[in-house]
Amino acid sequence: MPEKPRQLETAHGIIRFPAYIPVTTFGSKYPLDALIQPYLPRLSQAVMVSHHYAKLMKQRPRLPLLIDSGGFATLFDGSEVFEHRGLGHLRVCLGNEVEVLTPLDVLEFQEEHADVAFTLDFPIPPKLPIAEAKRRQALTIANAVWAIQNRRRRDLRLFACIQAWSVESASLCAAELARHPFDGFAIGGLVPRARDVDLVLAIVAAVREKIDDRPLHVFGLGKPETTARLFNAGVDSVDSSSYVKLAADGCLWENTNFRLQDPSPADRLRLAIQNLATATRTALPLATQAF
Amino acid sequence: MIDLSPQFNPAQQLVMDHALLDSGFSCVLQMPTGSGKTWMAREAIRRSVQCGFRAVYLSPLRALADELSSRWADEFRGTPVGVFTGDYGGTRKSHPVSYQDAQVLIMTPERLDACTRCWRGHWSWIPEVDWLVVDEIHLLGNRGRGARLEGAISRFRRLNPFCRVLALSATLGNREELADWLEGIEFQSDWRPVSLKWRIVHFRKAAEKPGLLAQELARTRDAGGQSLVFVQSRRRSEQLAAFLREQGLDALHHHAGLDHSRRRVVENAFRESSTRILVATGTLEMGLNLPVRQVVLYDTQGFDGTDFVPLAVNTVWQRAGRAGRPGLDPVGEALLIAPSWNSSAEHYPRGRFERIRSGLRDPQSLAEQILAEVHSGMARSSTQLHRVFDGSLAKLQGDRLPIDECIGEMLRAGMLAEDEQEQVNEGEERLRATPLGRIAIRHLLRPATILDLRRFLCSVTYFTHFDLLVAAACADDCEPVLSVDFEELDSLVERLKTIDSFLFEGPRETWHRRLPRHGKRLLSALKTAVVLLDWSRTGDLESVANEHCCYPFEILRLIESMDRLLMAAATIHKLSHRTDTAAPDCSVEPDYQDPGIGVLRQMIINGVNEPAAKLTLIDGIGAKWARKLVAAGITDLSSLAVSHPSWISTLGGVSEKRATTWVESAKSLATLNVRPYEHLLPSPIPVVPADFESGTDPYRLRRALELNVQAVESGVWAVSGGLEPHRVQGMRPDFTCDCQDHAKGNVCKHVLAVRLQCGDDSLQLPVQRLEKGASDEHLDLFYLWFERN
Repeated sequence: MPEKPRQLETAHGIIRFPAYIPVTTFGSKYPLDALIQPYLPRLSQAVMVSHHYAKLMKQRPRLPLLIDSGGFATLFDGSEVFEHRGLGHLRVCLGNEVEVLTPLDVLEFQEEHADVAFTLDFPIPPKLPIAEAKRRQALTIANAVWAIQNRRRRDLRLFACIQAWSVESASLCAAELARHPFDGFAIGGLVPRARDVDLVLAIVAAVREKIDDRPLHVFGLGKPETTARLFNAGVDSVDSSSYVKLAADGCLWENTNFRLQDPSPADRLRLAIQNLATATRTALPLATQAF
Repeated sequence: MIDLSPQFNPAQQLVMDHALLDSGFSCVLQMPTGSGKTWMAREAIRRSVQCGFRAVYLSPLRALADELSSRWADEFRGTPVGVFTGDYGGTRKSHPVSYQDAQVLIMTPERLDACTRCWRGHWSWIPEVDWLVVDEIHLLGNRGRGARLEGAISRFRRLNPFCRVLALSATLGNREELADWLEGIEFQSDWRPVSLKWRIVHFRKAAEKPGLLAQELARTRDAGGQSLVFVQSRRRSEQLAAFLREQGLDALHHHAGLDHSRRRVVENAFRESSTRILVATGTLEMGLNLPVRQVVLYDTQGFDGTDFVPLAVNTVWQRAGRAGRPGLDPVGEALLIAPSWNSSAEHYPRGRFERIRSGLRDPQSLAEQILAEVHSGMARSSTQLHRVFDGSLAKLQGDRLPIDECIGEMLRAGMLAEDEQEQVNEGEERLRATPLGRIAIRHLLRPATILDLRRFLCSVTYFTHFDLLVAAACADDCEPVLSVDFEELDSLVERLKTIDSFLFEGPRETWHRRLPRHGKRLLSALKTAVVLLDWSRTGDLESVANEHCCYPFEILRLIESMDRLLMAAATIHKLSHRTDTAAPDCSVEPDYQDPGIGVLRQMIINGVNEPAAKLTLIDGIGAKWARKLVAAGITDLSSLAVSHPSWISTLGGVSEKRATTWVESAKSLATLNVRPYEHLLPSPIPVVPADFESGTDPYRLRRALELNVQAVESGVWAVSGGLEPHRVQGMRPDFTCDCQDHAKGNVCKHVLAVRLQCGDDSLQLPVQRLEKGASDEHLDLFYLWFERN
């Protein structure tokens, strides 16, 4: 009997695995994102937005919407992770404004808007002192457990975030979280370790071993050659904003020698479409490929 | 939702067999008229809608857009079909379906152009379009509209890279080239539902033509067919239809001078066979389906704006293609009525279509598109603009586009500015449209029009309404151009003598510098200004049109043009009188109205005189109320200021409270001097009488003066100096010539040259008038008639 295709059913559609999920933003900071958003349904199965930008969303994309917790802001200058009643909270400095992100804020927003939600996690960069790394991991696990216990919407797919500093710590974190009925798991903090592909793959393998057959997502690793290896290693989905970042610089994924001088908004749009098509392995009409 | 008909015609079957609409590519389809192009468009649109996308259909004509929107609203039941043309939006009728709601958007190329210029406001629907159907794609080669269509298609495709273009035409000489430009595929079919038979009937003298035509039409009528006759001018369509009626044939005329409702009446009469013959200008060349068995091309020449030239093969086939009713006529007949001395008509039936050339070759059109790109934010540097136009049809056709020269000129002219804050590369800065440039964008006017208006407004200290109307009527964007017949010169002179002007007070050299036009084009601008002033004086379209030998519908179109031009002029006037226009962030609201020019605009758009137009400066008083107040004796602001609100309220439709507001506003406005120079008295225009009473055609006489005449023998002369030598013989007053013009029954230039040689006294005065130069102090219409444009 053929193996059943791996997929995730959500309130706004099915995500078939393996899946490349493009990241987008709302608001005026990244105008290229606004240009490409209407085209995402033609190129992608779902879209990922961080909690920070999702709050600026005026119109919901016509796709399954994945909302990240925005915990990456831990890495911003002046940000602080602190414990409050056993859970991890994040104080973020945005210019003159200070914002506090709590597991409750994140989950409430996700309950309202998301098809797939990710628990509030705190990235562990490579050179972080081990004590702080352990503290962040513990709070990440506590937040995830709290979220699964407090989920109200039955069709909200909740993914537990895994943060670690080594293969062993990733394995332990996954094992701890796997005891709970999460719909899937997501590994964060791998972007600064992306050059050490062997380490990344080892972490993926360790997590996969602990979470049985449930979906596994990896945050932020979207280079096509990397995603292919991740999918082979058992990752079901990845997300990345590289397709627009490259396009904004006039670059193409499929041709590293190509760089368009002074790209216009329409040039960037075409480049982003081509980059995303490369990542999602979507066939574009030939006329759409201008470069 | 409509169902697909299982019965395809052979052309449609081929398109389906080749899965052209499913190929993922844009398509250029060349198919004869009546072979199902509209069905193809509908099919592409149906597929878009079925997949949840939207589709845009570009119609070259507003009337056709309206007709299709009604038909498709029925056929695509449950799918919102919107129509977006110049007849809707703004102060006109509101759109029946909004852009946001429409899933099928039917629009003119100009409307799509406007949408792509401010694409951010249309971003809710542009990315959802799957097919952009361009009917009559050969419009790309049209002098006025081609570049705008090309710019609109180009911007649309860059904004929506997934959109495919379905380009349709019956007559393309370079189908493959257009397909290359659209990065698509092409398909051609010669299949016609009714085969087309060509016939040429020759005439020896022009006087024979009407009779020959009547014979041919009678033959078709007697065989149960209907005929569509194409002629080169509106006047000819009317005269010929009248002649045919005198011959007992049931004929009506149809041309662009008729308003839409009259045209519909004529078209319906023909559809219902209550009239069997239509005599039309090019208005019926495209679009409408009419039950025609025979198409007659009565004239194989047309006016190209300067001269009469042979019709293009594309034009002849567009017209001829309308012959033959499927299922009713065994064959369609295309009949050419051509001179016996000229065999050039023989090539038409071979159907070697002309190549469609990009309108961007015209530097003015290129400048307009550069401005549109910059203002829309789609290309804001020389590098980006070069990349945009590298993808143009003009570039593909090997034309060198002077992009940097255009940018330089527009920077110097103040239409564009460099953003010093934002550098692209070393020595290259971001471009932005200045307030002046934005006026061109806002009102869809050519940059040259804006610069000409600015030159006029900056060079005159004072101007009357007439002066500004002449300046605006000189613009290429003022449509239609009213022609002036030689016979009209005297009446135009008399009318001009009664009009005040500051502009024409000075010497010829001065006003010549201020106006960008000369010759007949300036004559046309003078006539246009007179027509519009008379319209504002009387508010009676019919009488003004009769008085000035034009059509009410032409005046309506002029009003539409002048509305945009005067709005632009008001903003330019404001800008020109600001001291801080050099400030980079200087901006004037595009809708700003100079009170003086604003009053003139109200006069023109509403057909009311100046005092009544001033009443419309009050909030809540539009043209309707202004007319009502004038009729009640409140003829200006001063009389409104002293009126009693309770009495105004007795007029009906206004409360006493509102009337009080009007009176209070009138009190404050009554002292407003909308023209600060009202205390100055302009002079009547100094005009030289046309003064050419000879029955001789002045054109031919002038050409005769340039010819050489040599006596060969008694009563025979050789005349040279023209295209080819000719022989004139005879005795005064009866001369004959062997040229074609004489064969048509005219007194040709060769005969006139011989008469001059023979000392014909009757030609001496006309010659003196011709040889007299233009007056320096007066406006000389006779001289303008001969001056080159």
